[in-house]
Amino acid sequence: MVKIKVDEDACVGCGSCVEDCPNDVYELDKEHGKTVVVNEGDCMACLSCHEICPSQALEHDDIHVAKRLYIDRKVNKAISKII
Amino acid sequence: MEIERKEIRGDFKPELIPPETGGDINDYEEALHVLMKFVGSMSSALEQVSGRGANAIVYQAGKRMGHEAGKMTEKTDNLEKAMNELSEILGMEFYFEMWKPSGQEEYTVEKGDETIVKLLFMDCVVRQTLRRTGLPQKGPLCYLLYGYMVGAVEEVMSIKGKLDIDHVGPNACLKTLTIKWGGK
Repeated sequence: MVKIKVDEDACVGCGSCVEDCPNDVYELDKEHGKTVVVNEGDCMACLSCHEICPSQALEHDDIHVAKRLYIDRKVNKAISKII
Repeated sequence: MEIERKEIRGDFKPELIPPETGGDINDYEEALHVLMKFVGSMSSALEQVSGRGANAIVYQAGKRMGHEAGKMTEKTDNLEKAMNELSEILGMEFYFEMWKPSGQEEYTVEKGDETIVKLLFMDCVVRQTLRRTGLPQKGPLCYLLYGYMVGAVEEVMSIKGKLDIDHVGPNACLKTLTIKWGGK
């Protein structure tokens, strides 16, 4: 079962995750201006919400993480010298 | 960055098949990245030249691959069984599972003479290639998977099917497979 954590300090309440999620997993708590998880059971861990969140406020635990073959280790090694 | 190149020299006759592939894992990784860039460029060029016709070409290529993959499993009329077997065969390139919303009891939904099942593709070489090349998802290359699944299902169940993309994401994509029983 997917566990979703929302970092309330980081969430800016833009509602991008609410709009982007195809399974209505999130809702915007208008009173506090933050995202809340309302339908965790329907999360399919596509991670579209991660990609769209401007403040990286979301965390998904216990999911299948797809193989990331596109990450070029040589490029990463070069970048790590700068960052 | 300096790359060390080591030349392999030896005698080779055309009729000799090397017993094992040479090179180490880094060589394969480099080859994979070149292939990804190559396939990505080819897909975008195909779209530029053929427009929407690119989708049909890639679909046909995928369908052929799907038929070949489908030959490796037993024929069945049971959609769930077919999906489980195909998932094992395609597992390395396209790891997928059947998916249902929490409120739904069964994976398959009967609608008239159609059976519908939602498939969640988690590991997908197409998605990896698109992200490696910086191309958007849902483009012509995604039609490869469309053709692949349809070809495999046609082979296993001897029936017509279609696959629609519901949602694409960086970690998984949701697709709907529709089987039309009247189309046998």
